[in-house]
Amino acid sequence: MVLLRSPLHDRHLALGAKLAEFGGWEMPLEYAGGGVLAEHKAVREGVGVFDVSHLGKAVVRGPGAVDFVNGCFTADLGRIGPGQAQYTMCCDADGGVVDDLIAYVRSGDDVFLMPNAANTADVVSRLAAAAPAGIEVVDQHRDFAVLAVQGPQSGQVLDRLGVAADAGYMSFATQQIEGQALTVCRTGYTGERGYELVVAAGAVLAVWDAVIEAGGPVSPRACGLGARDTLRTEMGYPLHGNDLSTEISPVMARAGWAVGWAKPAFWGKEALEAQRAAGEVRLSRGLLAGGRGIPRPGMEVQDAGGTVIGSVTSGTFSPTLRKGIALALLDPDVALDAEVFVDVRGRQEAFTVVKPPFVDPSTR
Amino acid sequence: MFPADLTYTPGHEWVRVDGDTATVGITDYAQEQLGDIVFVSLPQVGDSVEAGSVIGELESTKSVSDLFAPIAGEVLVRNEALEANPELVNSDPYGEGWLVKMRVHDDDATAGLMDAQAYEASLTQ
Repeated sequence: MVLLRSPLHDRHLALGAKLAEFGGWEMPLEYAGGGVLAEHKAVREGVGVFDVSHLGKAVVRGPGAVDFVNGCFTADLGRIGPGQAQYTMCCDADGGVVDDLIAYVRSGDDVFLMPNAANTADVVSRLAAAAPAGIEVVDQHRDFAVLAVQGPQSGQVLDRLGVAADAGYMSFATQQIEGQALTVCRTGYTGERGYELVVAAGAVLAVWDAVIEAGGPVSPRACGLGARDTLRTEMGYPLHGNDLSTEISPVMARAGWAVGWAKPAFWGKEALEAQRAAGEVRLSRGLLAGGRGIPRPGMEVQDAGGTVIGSVTSGTFSPTLRKGIALALLDPDVALDAEVFVDVRGRQEAFTVVKPPFVDPSTR
Repeated sequence: MFPADLTYTPGHEWVRVDGDTATVGITDYAQEQLGDIVFVSLPQVGDSVEAGSVIGELESTKSVSDLFAPIAGEVLVRNEALEANPELVNSDPYGEGWLVKMRVHDDDATAGLMDAQAYEASLTQ
């Protein structure tokens, strides 16, 4: 398969990026002179910039676009207005998660979507198939680049670039950097205060350069998707394909907060209501290492007697805690604070069942 | 690029022999490929190991790799500093980031290994 590349590909090569495949795109994993730990720390303590142009972009527009999307995806768009964004999920009829994504309401007739790279085509085709006459669904995956400026000093970077940084969490507005129009969103996937900049693909070089060369004490470090993964895992944010999938529903992932249960309809509603009422499925929890074991996706979770009670969906080393952390699906009767064991390549490593986040978020 | 006083394995370990003691580590190329190392598991002191056998693990933020014994011998010392500071393997792979010291029984223990030039050439093949 030929991998797609960001319009910033040459910039990444110049920065010595180690590249890896993400959802069909060849993207930076980490940069020379940095590495996951240094990049993670930059975002927790200063500011980092990620190229996340592989993320999908699509628009649903036409009379009643918001109402149409609201009848498809899980979250209740009635809770936000124009200029606000919302985390939501696209489920199938069985309640499995086709994708989790952010919906940006530009007006009642215009909703911008940011799905995961690998799922964009699927989400777009499901919406297009369901759309009534007058509503169009357009895949804009290659039309825009996305930069995520994240960290406690991210607001100062935007200030320096002459961009208003005072928007509320999950709000967005059109602004300019270097004369280029872009959408600045107070969103992110790191647990820190941060902004995502949606820029026309042809204009992103100037914006990237301006952000990277902001200079002074608040010059952001270029950060790769390796650090993005450790940052999001510390927050307990799910990753589609690991912690959410067509086999792992919002109920199982404990993402019911992103489901508008009172809405008259959304895809998968009946199946999810039945699953929630039955209470038989495995549920997501956090696991915090007692020792030095680092859990990885797919590893079995056992109780003290050796009975398998679940499996790891995401697992890594937490750079902040300097311990192994995991998200795991566990049998519903496994209690918080219980001691469980993860089979780490034949070693039984002890973990405590916890409620994520593992590190306090500072998004607001 | 690679220290000339060491010998190397195709699996990116290096060996420094001093009398009947061999110090073992991984190369700069290997640490670069692995990324930030966050956990190092080493054999027990006193273990007798065969050349090519798995004697430990190097785990980075993203993945885990087996550590292979480059030569046969008995484990004399483990680098205990790596318990608290596994990143030494990244920052100083030929110095403070060494992994184990072994007693070698065979004068010719490193005979099958590569010199620096051959190792460097093997990386570009």
